[in-house]
Amino acid sequence: MMIEASWIAGLGVILFGIGLIGAFSRKNAIVVLMCIEVMLNAANLNFVAGALHHGSVDGWVFTAVAIAIAAAEVAIGLAILLSLYSTQETISLDEANLLRN
Amino acid sequence: MGKNKQEWDRLLYIVPFLLVVPYLYSTGAHSTDYAWIIIAAPLVFFAVIAIAGQIWNGNETWVNRLKEGGVLGLGALGMSLSAALWMIYEYLDHHGHIEVGEPWSWLTFDILTYDSEGWSIATTGFHGIGFGIYLDPLSIMLLFVATFLCFLICWFAIGYMTTDQINDNSNHRFFAEFVLFSMGMFGMVLADNFLWLFIFWEIMGLCSYLLIGFYYWKESAAYAAKKAFLTTRVGDVFLMIGLLMLYDIYGSLDFAVVFDDPSTGVGGAVVEAATLQTALLMLFIGAVGKSAQFPLHVWLPDAMEGPTPVSALIHAATMVNAGLYLVARMVPFVDVAHHGVAGMEDLGLIVAWIGGITAFMAASIAFVQNDIKKVLAYSTMSQLAYIFTGLGAALWFFNTDNHHAGAIVFGGALFHLFNHAMAKGMLFMASGSVIHEVHHAHSHLSWSHGETNHDHGGHHNFDPQDMRNMGGLASKLPVTAIAMMFGSMSIIGIPLIGGFWSKEVIISKTWYAYFHGGEALLGPAILLLATAGMTGFYMSRMWFMTFAGEPKHELIDHVHEVTPWIKTPLVILSIITVIGGFGLALYGAIDWLSGDSTHLSMHGHTLIDQIVHELEHAFLPEDLQLRYVGWATIALSFVLGPIMAARIYGGSLRNGEKATPLVHWLTYLSSRFGSQNVDELANSQLAEALQNRLYFDDLYEGVLARTIVPFANFAAWFDKNVIDGVIKQIESNSVLGSVQIRRITTGSARDYILMAAVGALCIFALIWGVGA
Repeated sequence: MMIEASWIAGLGVILFGIGLIGAFSRKNAIVVLMCIEVMLNAANLNFVAGALHHGSVDGWVFTAVAIAIAAAEVAIGLAILLSLYSTQETISLDEANLLRN
Repeated sequence: MGKNKQEWDRLLYIVPFLLVVPYLYSTGAHSTDYAWIIIAAPLVFFAVIAIAGQIWNGNETWVNRLKEGGVLGLGALGMSLSAALWMIYEYLDHHGHIEVGEPWSWLTFDILTYDSEGWSIATTGFHGIGFGIYLDPLSIMLLFVATFLCFLICWFAIGYMTTDQINDNSNHRFFAEFVLFSMGMFGMVLADNFLWLFIFWEIMGLCSYLLIGFYYWKESAAYAAKKAFLTTRVGDVFLMIGLLMLYDIYGSLDFAVVFDDPSTGVGGAVVEAATLQTALLMLFIGAVGKSAQFPLHVWLPDAMEGPTPVSALIHAATMVNAGLYLVARMVPFVDVAHHGVAGMEDLGLIVAWIGGITAFMAASIAFVQNDIKKVLAYSTMSQLAYIFTGLGAALWFFNTDNHHAGAIVFGGALFHLFNHAMAKGMLFMASGSVIHEVHHAHSHLSWSHGETNHDHGGHHNFDPQDMRNMGGLASKLPVTAIAMMFGSMSIIGIPLIGGFWSKEVIISKTWYAYFHGGEALLGPAILLLATAGMTGFYMSRMWFMTFAGEPKHELIDHVHEVTPWIKTPLVILSIITVIGGFGLALYGAIDWLSGDSTHLSMHGHTLIDQIVHELEHAFLPEDLQLRYVGWATIALSFVLGPIMAARIYGGSLRNGEKATPLVHWLTYLSSRFGSQNVDELANSQLAEALQNRLYFDDLYEGVLARTIVPFANFAAWFDKNVIDGVIKQIESNSVLGSVQIRRITTGSARDYILMAAVGALCIFALIWGVGA
């Protein structure tokens, strides 16, 4: 039996909410990065749900591209965090506020 | 002698520059294709000297071998001179039939046209601004004067500038500006449209400002530079208005288009005499400013604050001739025999009157000046005024359809320009030689006496330019004395020498105009005749005060001609001054300059015939009235003026001292005329008024203080409080606002994510709301 598209979309919404709340409530930059990935995947789930609902292949293609890009983006995000750690000796986002005011 | 030999070796550096043009000639090229060299060489070396001088300032090779750029400048000007001579040679060789290449297009405009098929870009004709060269006897003559004199003055300047400690390490500035100035003049003469003429005209204006203010740390020099710049600016504004009016009339500023048929304007419209005359008068006001004529003459005497080579450059070779050139270019407009516009007699009359007034006024002020350079400055104004009067008479003749007389006086005026430029350039250089050697002796003496070890100590109570400190220099500075004598003779118009041949033409033709219908020209004619005698007086006075009599200062005993580089230009120009006028008169220079004859030659006469013909023409003209005028001129300028000067200022040299035979007769003769005391006259009110230059400066300053200055103060207040106030208000408000906005930038990434999320939610809500 096929899972309904609306269930998949609902899972996407829940995942997106979890990711969003985590992204702006956690201090640790790595956790924030993970939360962003969760949100990205929630968006991918939405594409999948759309593809199922419309019966077209576009959504699958978008998802495949988004995953590839997400991989590259994570690499960059981690590089930023590494250089943040090497200069500030912390990955706490509360202390990375040089652009304040 | 060893030192001199070393100095001449420096000349080897300019040989490569001089070889360029002979090489091009040997390849069989056309000179006009390489006319750009005349302008490009000084322009390039302006940059080279200015930059290299900054980099190598004080470097031993730069200072001693390259003379702080002077030798490079001389090379560049030599290149211009050789290219110009090549072109002049070809022009004369082909009797004026010379191919001028296509103008180089500087700016091209696309002209949009609208017709039944809609908008399109015009494809026919050239729209834009090109740069080509325009050759006729006038520009050829002026090109020779400019390139030749600039070269010689640069040569002189190397000697004058680099031996004075006060200039140390700033001469590259002088030479860079000097070559740029020369470039401006060459460009102005060659330009084939009024716009480029104006651009180069302004380049000269800028350079004259920079050069007059060369000693900018002296307050008087800075003031003089400012005055010269602003006074000529008054004229330039009018010049620009005139050019815009011309563009309005003809739709182009190209000489080729404008002069082709001056009576037909753009689109075949008939040109109205009144409009054109106003435009030409505007141009004339520009010329008045540049050539220092009444009432815009006040800047020229102050311009003497610059170094002497600059005085020579500005007052003989270049800038002052620019105004004359502009007026001479007006001839096609008024020449009714060749499509000129009739009914513009007033233009010629105004030009002639301004010339007459200036000639007389400047000559009378020159009577009482004691500064040797100021005498020459006023003399320049006076002589330029002669040329203006001649041109004015020519414009009047051309406009009243008397082409023959017009051509003669036009050619005569231009010929006087040539003679005056040569003689005055030399006189300024000779005065520079006097000043330099007196100054040299002074600083040498005060140094050896141990009075002061300051470079220019004692400057405060000794003025090396004051003729009252001189006298008896004829035996100390032989070359300078001879050069000065010939130069003065040429300016005075002593028969057979230089300026006589041209001045005679101007005076007699102005009278001729009066006798033949030009009643309004009586004033200028009388003023010119009187000025001829006054010229004889003040030029002789200058010579006698400087060179004759007993020394008036103990310093004079220590003066010698020691500086190399200074004498050569004096010798060359002396020769040209003495025989150039007569020689060129024999070859029909006047007819050639006026365009009546296409080549310089004796028209098939033998030399003796031609000499007899010229002498007869000059001394025994067939018209009896003109014969009286001619003899009156000669009597005033040759006899009355010099003898009066000799009685007051002359005197033989001290016993046992002997000058060269060429000038000794003059000092001897001057002592034979007896002496006359003029203290009473010298203390009179008139003399005081003349000393104060007839109060023109005071008048202008008074008028300015009452009109412009209050307005300027108001404008400054308005600017500060209203315009700046608005801008400052905007500024302070945005500063305050930004302080508030800054608070929300916390720098914390989580806050930004929250803001982005809230923002996204808002957008969703908005879209949802709109959709519903």
